[in-house]
Amino acid sequence: MGLLYGLIAVGLALIFGLMDVTNFAHGEFLMIAMYRSFFLFAFFAIDPLLSAPLVAAALFIFGAVVYLLLVRFAMRAKANAGMVQIFTTFGLAIVMRGLAQYFFTPDYRSIPQSWLGGKTISIAGIFLPEPQLVGALVSIAAFAGLYIFIHRTDFGRAIEATREDPGAVALVGIDKNRVFAFGWGLGAALVGLAGAIMAVFFYIYPDVGASFALIAYVTVALGGFGSVFGAFAGGIIVGLVEAVTALVLPPSLKSVGIYSVYLLVVFIRPRGLFGSI
Amino acid sequence: MTITRRDVLLGAAATAALVPLAARAQTSEVVIGVIYPFSGGSAQQGVDAQKAYETALEVINKDSAFDLPLAKGEGLPGLGGAKVRLVFADHQADPQKGRAEAERLITQEKVCAIIGTYQSAVAVTVSQICERYQVPFVSADNSSPSLHRRGLKYYFRAAPHDEMYSAAMFDFFDAMKKKGTKIDTLSLFHEDTIFGTDSGNAQAKIAGERGYKIVTDIKYRANSPSLSAEVQQLKTANADVLMPSSYTTDGILLVKTMAELGYKPNAIVAQDAGFSEKALYDAVGDKLEGVISRGTFSLDLAQKRPMVGKINDMFKAKSGKDFNDLTSRQFMGLIILADAINRAKSIDGEKIRDALAATDIPGDQTIMPWKRVKFDEMGQNNDADPVLLQYVGGKFVTIFPPQAAIAEAIWPMK
Amino acid sequence: MDKDFTARRRRDLIIAALLALIAALTPLFVKDVVVQNILILTLMYAGLSQSWNILSGYCGQISLGHALYFGLGAYTTELLFTKFGVLPWFGMLAGGVVSALIAMGLGYPFFRLRGHYFVIATIVIAEIGLLLFHNWEWAGAAMGITIPIRGDSWLKFQFLRTKLPYFYFALALCCLAWFVTWWLENSKWGFWWRAVKDNPEAAESLGVDVFNSKMGAAAVSAFLVAVGGSFYAQFVSYIDPESVMGFQFSLLMALPAVLGGIGTLWGPVLGAAILIPLTELTRFKFGGSGRGIDLIVYGTLIVLISLALPRGLLSLFSRPKRTGAVR
Repeated sequence: MGLLYGLIAVGLALIFGLMDVTNFAHGEFLMIAMYRSFFLFAFFAIDPLLSAPLVAAALFIFGAVVYLLLVRFAMRAKANAGMVQIFTTFGLAIVMRGLAQYFFTPDYRSIPQSWLGGKTISIAGIFLPEPQLVGALVSIAAFAGLYIFIHRTDFGRAIEATREDPGAVALVGIDKNRVFAFGWGLGAALVGLAGAIMAVFFYIYPDVGASFALIAYVTVALGGFGSVFGAFAGGIIVGLVEAVTALVLPPSLKSVGIYSVYLLVVFIRPRGLFGSI
Repeated sequence: MTITRRDVLLGAAATAALVPLAARAQTSEVVIGVIYPFSGGSAQQGVDAQKAYETALEVINKDSAFDLPLAKGEGLPGLGGAKVRLVFADHQADPQKGRAEAERLITQEKVCAIIGTYQSAVAVTVSQICERYQVPFVSADNSSPSLHRRGLKYYFRAAPHDEMYSAAMFDFFDAMKKKGTKIDTLSLFHEDTIFGTDSGNAQAKIAGERGYKIVTDIKYRANSPSLSAEVQQLKTANADVLMPSSYTTDGILLVKTMAELGYKPNAIVAQDAGFSEKALYDAVGDKLEGVISRGTFSLDLAQKRPMVGKINDMFKAKSGKDFNDLTSRQFMGLIILADAINRAKSIDGEKIRDALAATDIPGDQTIMPWKRVKFDEMGQNNDADPVLLQYVGGKFVTIFPPQAAIAEAIWPMK
Repeated sequence: MDKDFTARRRRDLIIAALLALIAALTPLFVKDVVVQNILILTLMYAGLSQSWNILSGYCGQISLGHALYFGLGAYTTELLFTKFGVLPWFGMLAGGVVSALIAMGLGYPFFRLRGHYFVIATIVIAEIGLLLFHNWEWAGAAMGITIPIRGDSWLKFQFLRTKLPYFYFALALCCLAWFVTWWLENSKWGFWWRAVKDNPEAAESLGVDVFNSKMGAAAVSAFLVAVGGSFYAQFVSYIDPESVMGFQFSLLMALPAVLGGIGTLWGPVLGAAILIPLTELTRFKFGGSGRGIDLIVYGTLIVLISLALPRGLLSLFSRPKRTGAVR
């Protein structure tokens, strides 16, 4: 489960962490991705695993468009840039929920049959559900990919450089908007990947994102903004803490464990575990 | 679906045109407020409820041959054939908004009664406002036992509450035990809302009284992103019966997680809610062969009472779904309320209240397996017998109590 | 001190007094309970947002966890009332004091955090409070607390049908929050906060004083919000964790200030006066449809306003020469 939280958080780590833009519509991005896999399954009988790249591609376009149409202007705001970002993306989240309810109806949906759904591998008495196992593998691959992308390619360095000093970057001829639009697209595509995996074992309805959004924020912040590895570690810690808390406290309090660990970490290290911002 | 709705509208327009002018002149409208969540996490229930009420409205306002109160003839004869009109309001699962909407419906829309609300927390505030304005409130589908024990004069509930449901489950266990089935230990699994807490408390209380051992009592956070840790505990406890009280979302996740972690209990006896929703069975029905849920409604009744099937078809034409435990209670709630208004021959709140208090409808004039509808001094109908249903081969069959059952329980479940 | 500034402050006070007077007279003309209900909520949120603005606007410590204080106020009042028979008036004070103390206790570690880390910490702490109340049997857990209503009583601050007492209380709360803000603007604290916002590094030299002033702001802000919470509990006469401590309250306190103009004296009032009636009306109009249209309308407006007017609606009214002073 921890790696899945990590997978949901990795897209956010890119947008929220590396570009330092708040995205309060992250949960809704996830919701859209899950609906997309559901409809690909319902109408074309494409298994969520196969459709994952399609969903990711669609989300890439969606993320880039959201950046170009909304976030670009929110970042340009002369006053209260932080608040403008928070509330622009928050407003977007409400609109997305409303639109989902309008077009998809509030019915709960779920993908009943898939290659992975409900299958379990049992190793020495420990049950490993296949969808979550695949989710975990995809998650590790996504993190590794992103890590290499950020630290080894020119484009990745450009994203980081643009955040740190847009002016200087413009001098070397990098267009900030193109870099960030690509970053948003990539972040959303990663959410799309997470959504496709999630759709296998989670139910889908317009408000589904809300359950995951806060955990994703906490995961990214726990690991520290600006660090891909941090988000990965954050995801694992969150998963472990949740499991342990549920054993010690009544399960309805298990999130309290996650939140307390977050508070504890930032009190000791105000920039999260591996944060650079 | 759009075609059917248009047909209905055309039909309504045509009937309206046929009513003689003189009759129409003296009829007034009877306005009833309907308060549900139409947006947010439980919007689906609100939208389904809307369809159920529209079905009931059709039965009341149009001439039909069903053996239900008010089915024959058009409108309310006690008020010169007045038509019932519904005003829908959205409470968004927020007690404050429910309260504000109730007040708005009473003062601005001039409703003479209110029906609702799905969420018990909202029923608390809506019924308080109704009490203050002396307007009857019919709690169609709230099942919290605490609701009718607040000494409200204008509160009525025709359907059973969770203690009645839980008692039926334990009656069933007792009967199974007599036949030699081993049922000693129970696992309770309930969400942390009013519904879940009430249900869990009722089950724990009755289990104690009748000598069943509760090995785990798990309260979990509603709409959790993951239930793995909880299911792991259920698996370790491995009780004879798992008793979940969950809504659709958590129900789906529970069943999926159980399958993933390889937990297969001998029996699941569910406190309705999510376990009577079509969405849940669409999603994970294949893993639920043999699950037992309590209910107030069963389509099996159509074999004995054909009108149940016909009314269900009317509802299905609107919503694309069969009646379930919630929508059937909503349908029945409006019929009972309209019947009382008809007998009160008035839209005055106090008179309707008195008429509701005097309600006595025999069970076979309902679509439910109830003995009858008659309210006690707290506004609760104690003759609404719950039934237990088992999900077999893609549909529900009634297995308990014996007088309503059409099949023997399959135990353990597959 | 700059003459313009003093003149503006005097003018603000006069305008506020006039507005309060007009507001106080509205019930003479508005008899409809639904409209009165909207007015009460508007005034309440104006007051809450004004209080939120003290910490988040003036001090720049953006909190999305004020629902914690709102809920604490509501719960302290009602637990004291239903369990020990303490009158709500005293409960209200007790709730305020409890919240202020907790706010100061939290402020100590929290104010070391910056930016997103701080915002997330505030969300998380409110969420912890919500979960704890959800599981606290003695405080009613999920069942909440129903406040027994026995008829009109000023002593118990409960009324069956009339809304006027609630209306005047909400108005008083709103005025109080406004006046505290007005007074703080010109205090030593106010100057420090402006200094910190303009130049965080330079303000470091003020060090301890600034830290203490932030603690003060947190306490004042939490106290006022808690009073609002206990008012809400009396007004609705039923509370459960979700309906007084949910995240939506944190947002609803922040939104009016952001829409109207964050860190300004008039922003929260203006924002609430527009936002609250708007949300109520969109719900009346579209809410019964079950198609989410109310959400679409509401969300679009938030996006448009925050994009088009980053300084809030108030910036439409301000003349260039004044903006200098407001900063």
